[in-house]
Amino acid sequence: MSVKKRARFIEKISTGIEGFDEITGGGLPRGRTTLIMGGPGCGKTVLALQALVNGATRHGAPGMFVAFEENADLVEENAESFGWDMAGLQKKLIYFLNAQLTPDVVKVGEFDLTALLAGLEAKAKEMGAKLVVFDALDVLLSLLDDPAAERRELYRIQAWLKRTGLTGILTTKIEEDKSPAGQRYGFMPFMADCVVRLGQRVIDRVAVREMRLVKYRGSPHVLNEVPFVIGAAGVEVGASNGVHPEPQPFKMRVSTGIERLDEMMEGGIYRGTNVLITGSAGTGKSTLSGLFLEAACRRGERALFVSFDENTRDIVRDLASVGVRLAPHLKTGLLRIESVRTEAASSEDHLIRMKHLIREHKPACIAVDPFSALVKVGGELAARNVAERLIYLCRNERITALLTSMIEGTDVTMETTPLHISTLADSWLQISYSLHAGERNRALTIIKSRGSKHSNQMRELIFSNSGITLTDPYTAGGEVLMGTLRIEKENAVRTMAERKRHEIDHKRREIELILAERDLRLVGAQRDLLDCSEELDSLALAQITSTSERTQRQDAVVRKRDDKLVREQANGAKPAGGKPCKRSKAGNEQP
Amino acid sequence: MSRTATGASHAAHGAYVFRIYIAGGAPNSVRALASLYALCRQHFPESHHIEVIDVLKEPMRALAEAILVTPTVVKITPAPELQMIGDLSDEEEVLRALGLPQTTSG
Repeated sequence: MSVKKRARFIEKISTGIEGFDEITGGGLPRGRTTLIMGGPGCGKTVLALQALVNGATRHGAPGMFVAFEENADLVEENAESFGWDMAGLQKKLIYFLNAQLTPDVVKVGEFDLTALLAGLEAKAKEMGAKLVVFDALDVLLSLLDDPAAERRELYRIQAWLKRTGLTGILTTKIEEDKSPAGQRYGFMPFMADCVVRLGQRVIDRVAVREMRLVKYRGSPHVLNEVPFVIGAAGVEVGASNGVHPEPQPFKMRVSTGIERLDEMMEGGIYRGTNVLITGSAGTGKSTLSGLFLEAACRRGERALFVSFDENTRDIVRDLASVGVRLAPHLKTGLLRIESVRTEAASSEDHLIRMKHLIREHKPACIAVDPFSALVKVGGELAARNVAERLIYLCRNERITALLTSMIEGTDVTMETTPLHISTLADSWLQISYSLHAGERNRALTIIKSRGSKHSNQMRELIFSNSGITLTDPYTAGGEVLMGTLRIEKENAVRTMAERKRHEIDHKRREIELILAERDLRLVGAQRDLLDCSEELDSLALAQITSTSERTQRQDAVVRKRDDKLVREQANGAKPAGGKPCKRSKAGNEQP
Repeated sequence: MSRTATGASHAAHGAYVFRIYIAGGAPNSVRALASLYALCRQHFPESHHIEVIDVLKEPMRALAEAILVTPTVVKITPAPELQMIGDLSDEEEVLRALGLPQTTSG
């Protein structure tokens, strides 16, 4: 580390503590002193120890822990409970020093910490330590029993840290307040380059841990109070003010579990995004959560159901009653239902727990129901912060999330959520009770669906034994009809159609009848026509026949007459007696 | 650094054996050393032993023996072991701790 470099900016060492590096802009100041202060039980020791352990395990940086108050064995035991392998680390990376004076030590005059510092310096050289923790410095100082001596020894430690180039973490129970002790040790923060104050507050009977960076010399940092928790893996700081990278969501769609809802949303939810479902009590938010996860499991995806204040057995049973079957998926392990008591922890604790659940179970889809339960514990501001971070977490992990939120009251026009997360959510569905004609019906509206077209029409949500579906919208007089009104309308429409059909049938029959009659008439007329023509033909025939007969007769007469003439001419005197007879006869026939 | 015979032999005879941890020539260390010698000369002129350990020269030893401050004086024998911290300027307290009669002025 060159002098030039040191003069320019503070070099930092990562603590590896989630959120802490974020608010400090990279970690603790390297080669400088950080003071962690706070009341008893605030987590000072854990924070310091965690930085030490992480430095050793992640960066291979050896460190020393000097315990002035607690016995090192106790500290070690405590550390093991967070899953840190102290026994393994102590072999070469971490050195523990029990630095408690036995109670029967007699003070006989002035003394200083030279022995301790000389010893630590030698040890640091031997093991190549980079970090040193002085835990519970206040206990050491109280031995000195003299403000001037206390100040002198503190400066001695500070000078020693500077000289050795070690990064120091000092913890102290001393609070910055108006109490005598506070005033007496009020100078301590001035000595350190970085001051972290830990606190504990009780909001709505839930303890909330808070951390504030009071000071960070030469470095920008988050000044706000930020929540933190001491969870199963140690300290986790709920930093939220950083810029979150937003990964591109998948272009694929995920089913909501309701086919018709998917249709309304152009094929479902984009994978990796989140849907907020708001609604008052009993509108079916949990059912939609269940459906969504059931659909995920059916696709063979892992799913996580975080339910506040309802136990797993009840959830499974209640959802089964509307045809959502979760039990088989629980059995296969695809689905995990985590039932959480809201009041058991602060919202920050809940977030951490969810975070760990997500890491353990690695779900592709998650439902948190009701997400708004977080507001109940530890104040709204903290809850909103937690809500935001959960959304960011899901986005980063590419988990498709369904979050439900309770809305008090039945005002359907009230489109605000207690957590004000509606602006953060990618999609927002509202289930409301529609009050009409003495009925409450569930109505679903898509208020927002980022990145896709969606139906803006309100639809009725119907729950039945056979499942859940959305109806086609029926509008009348500018209103969407639901429940009985819808059924009436459906019936009316059906009757109307029926009547129309009857009318048409009737008309058709009438026409057919007419047609048949006309056909008949036509047939009759044709027959008449035929008869007439036949008669005509026969008449014509008859005429022809009679004409030919007459001609033949005339011919015969002519022939006969000619024959007679010929004979008379031949006989010479043949009387023409017979001829007149015949002629008269012929003359009779021929008037 | 022994001034008289070995500690062990003195211990066997009920002699006073002390170990003092000092930090080089630090003023309080120098004062403590001087006071200890004076005390031994006065109260146990024939049977005392003082071991002096400079933590600046043997820092690891101080650490191993859990010595946090200098000067520290440990009375090893006679039993029980007694640890005193400070430059021994509080003479009254020193004598009381060692179970010696308070020095009458003069």
